[in-house]
Amino acid sequence: MISPAIKIASSRFPNEISEIEVKRDVSKCINCGTCAKVCPFGVHERKTGYNRVSKPLSYLCIGTSCEDNPFYCVNRCPRNALSLDISSEYSTIGDYRWTRDLIIGTWKQAETGMPLKGRRYEIGNSGGGFDRIFFNFPKDEDGIEDEDISTGIELNRRKGKKISIEVPFYGGGMSFGSVSLSVMLARAKAARAWGTFTCTGEGGYPEKLKEYDDNVITQVATGLFGVMEDTIQRVKIVEFKYAQGAKPGLGGHLLGDKVTPEVARMREAVLGSSLFSPFPFHSVYSVEDHKKHVDWIKEINPDAIVSVKVSTPTDVDMVAVGSYYAGANIIHLDGSYGGTGAAPDIAKKNIAMPIEYAIPKVHEFLKEQGMRDKMTLIASGGIRTAHDAAKAIALGADGVVIGTAELVALGCVRCGNCESGRGCPRGIATTDPELSRAVDVEWGAQRLINLYAAWRSEIVEVLRRFGMRSVKELVGRYDCLCYVDITRRK
Amino acid sequence: MPKKYSIDVTPTPPRYPPVGKFEIERGENCINCGRCAIACLYDVHKRQEEDPRCMAEPVDYRCKGCFSCIQECPREALAIRENKEYPKLGDSYWTPEIISSNWYQAETGKIPVSGAGYRGPFSGEGFDSMWTDMSEIVRPTRDGIHGREYISTVVEIGRKLPAIKFDAIGEIASPTPPALSIPLPIIFNTPPFGRYGNVYEAMAKAASYLGTFMIVDPDEWFKSEENREGGIGNRGHTSHLIPHISHLTPHTFEADLIKTCKMVELEYEEDVLGMVNEAKKLSPGTIVSVRVPFGDNVEKIVEELTYAGVEVIHLYADVNGQTFKKSLIKNASQQTFRKSLFIKDMTLNVHRHLVDLKIRDEVTLIVSGGIAMAEHVAKSIVCGADLTAIDLPLLIALECRYCKECLNNQTFKKSLIGNAPQAPQSCPIELKNANPEWGAKRIINLIGAWRNQLLEVLGAMGLREVRRLRGEVGRAIFIEEIEKETFDKVFVSPQYIK
Repeated sequence: MISPAIKIASSRFPNEISEIEVKRDVSKCINCGTCAKVCPFGVHERKTGYNRVSKPLSYLCIGTSCEDNPFYCVNRCPRNALSLDISSEYSTIGDYRWTRDLIIGTWKQAETGMPLKGRRYEIGNSGGGFDRIFFNFPKDEDGIEDEDISTGIELNRRKGKKISIEVPFYGGGMSFGSVSLSVMLARAKAARAWGTFTCTGEGGYPEKLKEYDDNVITQVATGLFGVMEDTIQRVKIVEFKYAQGAKPGLGGHLLGDKVTPEVARMREAVLGSSLFSPFPFHSVYSVEDHKKHVDWIKEINPDAIVSVKVSTPTDVDMVAVGSYYAGANIIHLDGSYGGTGAAPDIAKKNIAMPIEYAIPKVHEFLKEQGMRDKMTLIASGGIRTAHDAAKAIALGADGVVIGTAELVALGCVRCGNCESGRGCPRGIATTDPELSRAVDVEWGAQRLINLYAAWRSEIVEVLRRFGMRSVKELVGRYDCLCYVDITRRK
Repeated sequence: MPKKYSIDVTPTPPRYPPVGKFEIERGENCINCGRCAIACLYDVHKRQEEDPRCMAEPVDYRCKGCFSCIQECPREALAIRENKEYPKLGDSYWTPEIISSNWYQAETGKIPVSGAGYRGPFSGEGFDSMWTDMSEIVRPTRDGIHGREYISTVVEIGRKLPAIKFDAIGEIASPTPPALSIPLPIIFNTPPFGRYGNVYEAMAKAASYLGTFMIVDPDEWFKSEENREGGIGNRGHTSHLIPHISHLTPHTFEADLIKTCKMVELEYEEDVLGMVNEAKKLSPGTIVSVRVPFGDNVEKIVEELTYAGVEVIHLYADVNGQTFKKSLIKNASQQTFRKSLFIKDMTLNVHRHLVDLKIRDEVTLIVSGGIAMAEHVAKSIVCGADLTAIDLPLLIALECRYCKECLNNQTFKKSLIGNAPQAPQSCPIELKNANPEWGAKRIINLIGAWRNQLLEVLGAMGLREVRRLRGEVGRAIFIEEIEKETFDKVFVSPQYIK
């Protein structure tokens, strides 16, 4: 079992957003340093050689639950200069799907690598789907040791080279252009550390990713940008992107001024000219056409396994079966509520069904058709937490793909302005040379390694409570879940 | 091949600073270092012009909530919170998000685009309880918005003959009913308030540019125009008017209207068929629409009208899409209460009823009430409408905040007859003073953005014509059905939150 080192990777901002704001009334404070002495969490500090106590690091504070402790700074301050309050940032951040607690919780996980307890870190506030599905944990536990629990899954269940990953999740496709090179490298490093994969998206294969070849999935999408024999031969998994959940059925459009020399070279395109990625594959209108594509990949790289990424229309079950007959190893369903890149709001909200419905639909249909144990079913599009991942698996998926959670770990606040103006104000989803400097590769990789560690611990905990020794046992275990009907709440 | 229809948009900034979602506060401990100005990509933070040593007050409405300035400030001098005015925009149906998204579209003419996934509730009432479908691999789809393959949004208004008869020499022998072809499935409805001359003029200009129609109250229209010494005839927009006539009187003015307009609308009442015939007698080439409330028995009324030869029926609900038909609903404690059916469900009922009777194509259904976003147009059509009529979004394009001050004030004044006159509450954006040219541009921008979104939805389905979307319920995913289909196999019975 791989277990990369967890190291604290603090926020890259001077002021981390936190739930609690520790206020120090400077007019009352006499800089005695009592608070710095008592607080075990490091909220208060008086650096050696300084007469004044530093400004409080509010995000380390555990809040009013500290009240009864002998070291509660508010009580211990001789001048009553300290007080705790809910911060205005905390009240402002977040939305229905990614609540303030999910965002801040993901940051905490990325910083410390520790799992979090409490429902507010497990579900959002969307009122449906995963937010209404809960686990039916048995009362008694079998007492399995965490060390005996495996979270690994097999990605190829057909003939050919076996590929397994140590954690039941891997990184979704994000192209160079939609995210910066540092973000891509950080993701690749974390994927290698955890023995899983990351995906290039449709935008070419940057040279610097070469050393991570064994942990990279390269994408062949409708625009065929940056698809070269060389890149296909280098990787273990090739992903066909037929559609993506955030904008199902819509083409992509990279504006001309974003086609910088670097982007143009990697995409084999003309500098400064707009690039359209059409919908759908204009050469695939049948399962036979689809098979032709898969065969083509297997001809170029016989060891590669093929993943087919589709979004979730009503006939997604038929599409999955068609992909099986075309020779795909992985069917990757991308639900409508996820996605990382910029997409029309109307598409994100309305087009195609949420992943929660698509997983059991496809799982059941593949079982009926007798090919469930030949296909690996991967779900994505709205997997925000480890609990979402475990629920998706219990609904019938083998594993999940994550995207937004990784970006949040790197400091995304989900403001959604990935595309407006100069680009991502957080320096993540941008190739602007100045903005993208904000993310350091080492720091980013550590944040993601920590996040994966926290997720893995949470999944292990779920499995332990169900008395399962492997995440594979959880696949399609509907009995482990219950659906809470909020409309009928008493 | 006819000329491609396209809507040219022109960036048209608002007259007043819009109500933004966020509020930024700069504390007194600011040291004017300017880090916030570097961190902010949206020009919220700038130095004072008169004294560049100091930072200016943050320009709140430009804030997009990225938190960068808050987190970068070396003194923690900045705080962000939700603007208190923001949640006050509109109401629970016309949410602040809907209003500000329409503002954005009216200003830029662009489709709202954002990253990092969807951020709203999983599902909701009404239109939010359905999704639209897409086609994946086997059905070729079209990329309409980038212009490579044309998707038509043309719809016809009027009766479609089930079959055409020819005479001995091959000429069409059946009487051909009048028909109108409009380039997009949206017409303008009379707005619920704010019916000022300049508003009507902006609407008329936009309708004329877009090639669509607007429904007007002839009394109001005539009066306001007369005040400005124009008269409808002189303004060149008559061809885009649909006068809404509530009572047909032998008034020459109305007869003239019927003769000059391509379409008129009559209010449904007991003897409406008599009025329809009279209007038809005056001008056989004019399409006559009957405006019917979505109420009890509406299926039967539509059936009767269709059998009686009415070509167009405009079904309307209230401004929030609530119909006037109530149904009994049981709540958790088994109490029954009456709840209005939503426009989407009623549209489906009427459409299915006509399909069952095999007379669906003999009548055009216009649906209005609660159409607040582009997706509602597509969803109404999926549920069986031929086209939609919109009202409030037109006012929102003109910066309306739907604060309802003007509405409240009207009722207030009425209740105070005889008392001391109350100072009239002013419209925060002075709708009355909006320049019609500016207004027309904003409306054109909004409709341009809506049409592009409709194209996105059609393109995702692989449809090349909006006419094919009508009643295609197979192209929609309804929450009740999908939950039954998938979750019934998964969950034995829903459990209650204890």
